[in-house]
Amino acid sequence: MAAVEQIGRAGRAALRPFWTVGRLRVAALVVIFALWEIAGASGLFYRGVLPSSYLVVWALLGLLTSMDFWFHAGVTGLEVLVAFVLGCSAGALAGLMLGANRYVGAVLEPFLHYLAPTPKIVFLPILLILFGVGMGSKIALGAISSFFPMALGVAAGVRQVNPVLLRVGRTFSLSRFQMVRMIYLPALVPSLATGLRIGLGISIVGCLMSEIKLSRMGLGFSAMEYYRVFDIPSMLAVLIFIFFCAALGNVAIDKFVRLPGPHDRQKRKWSGFTRRFT
Amino acid sequence: MTIPTLRLTNVAKTFTTGGGSVRALEPISLDIRQGEFISVIGPSGCGKSTLMNIVGGLIDDYEGEVQVDGVPVRGCHKSIGMVFQEESTFPWRTALDNVAFPMEALGVEREERLSRARDLLKLVGLDGFEQRFPSELSGGMRQRIAIARTLAFQPRILLMDEPFAALDEQTRLLLGDKVLQIQQELSQTTMLITHNIAEAVQLSDRVLIMSFRPGRIKRVLEIDLPRPRSSKMMGGERFGHYVAAIWEDLREEASKGLQEMERLRAGV
Repeated sequence: MAAVEQIGRAGRAALRPFWTVGRLRVAALVVIFALWEIAGASGLFYRGVLPSSYLVVWALLGLLTSMDFWFHAGVTGLEVLVAFVLGCSAGALAGLMLGANRYVGAVLEPFLHYLAPTPKIVFLPILLILFGVGMGSKIALGAISSFFPMALGVAAGVRQVNPVLLRVGRTFSLSRFQMVRMIYLPALVPSLATGLRIGLGISIVGCLMSEIKLSRMGLGFSAMEYYRVFDIPSMLAVLIFIFFCAALGNVAIDKFVRLPGPHDRQKRKWSGFTRRFT
Repeated sequence: MTIPTLRLTNVAKTFTTGGGSVRALEPISLDIRQGEFISVIGPSGCGKSTLMNIVGGLIDDYEGEVQVDGVPVRGCHKSIGMVFQEESTFPWRTALDNVAFPMEALGVEREERLSRARDLLKLVGLDGFEQRFPSELSGGMRQRIAIARTLAFQPRILLMDEPFAALDEQTRLLLGDKVLQIQQELSQTTMLITHNIAEAVQLSDRVLIMSFRPGRIKRVLEIDLPRPRSSKMMGGERFGHYVAAIWEDLREEASKGLQEMERLRAGV
């Protein structure tokens, strides 16, 4: 016993494996960059298709300091934001109705189910006619895209609320409104978070795709412009920027749309919002 | 003659399904006194859960009448609180907030409901665990939270539907002691559904033995053991006598139930 205690802090540090999760992640990044450099220098690809990573970083710095880039980023950002908010709120409402009413759900859900995985880009010609070549058609496509996963996710979430919790609510004589606020809503937070995360990704896809197809502004447009003049480093820099923003959005959703739980004890900072929300 | 806290008059229930109808419960009449502890015991499929759901108000299309303090009630009601067999704590609420839940719904002020919830957690022996979430606690602790939560509703009658069924035997016995202590402290009228004979004898003033489908009361047994009781009495001669007496009645019904189940499974 005493011997075990004597090992103490230093001993435990020595017993800890060198390859912790954090270190492995860093190592994975290093390996990926190394493979990129090797592949680029190997001559297996056309010259310029896989530029050295420092060229891309250089191009990214160039973009981040240009007003033009920020204009395009602003356009795409606004499109995605509006599409995301519209699509997800409409989807959440539709999901609530589908889940709450068995008959509505039985009638309409098969349509949603089979429409959901079809590529929404096929609607673009109609949307272009309806909303024009500007931001309107992009927002519409992004919103339509994010509507489906949200609606299906919330509908499934409503049906999966633990029936015992609903019985508990009934025996405590909760009003309809209290049932929604005190039981359904918190029980739905995980499905809402999943819907938001998928919705965000897919509304970005919708907006960018339609920008790439036909537009005069936005990040999809500028990526295509760089491609046209074969400025691959700048094109990759735009893609990396988009990737980074999407990841950031996901982190934000994970942090803010979550239920109170044991994890709150470590991360008091973030628990304020969900605590008030539930 | 004082008015009973709970009175059932010819309460019966027939379930109608697509294929026909099943008589779940033959007319049952029963009076329960203030502060009395009643257990309902019977084989699976004897309609004891149906009876429980009728009294608790979760089933409201039944025959007969349920009265609380002489007033007929139907549907979920403020004077009746239920504890369920399944896991029923809210996973997103701490132990304290779980217990405060019914008071929040009733509009009790925050300070008051939290202080009352704290007292109730203490009563069920969970002081010090106020800020824990259900996922951090054991099954027995979660079930005690559920009991405290129902007590926070201040029901005239506490209904418990096999609340310890999912727990291991030792935990079950210790929780039984806890329930006895609470019931004596609050003089809480309690109705317990169970299929555990020892548990019924340990806790009850009266045990109702129900027959296999259609459910009816086969026998009512007064448990004349001294109070306060505890699980330590289980070795006693009279305790064993009661257990044997209940099993004698129950054996026949349980084997009927078992045969029926096997016939159903074989598809005969």
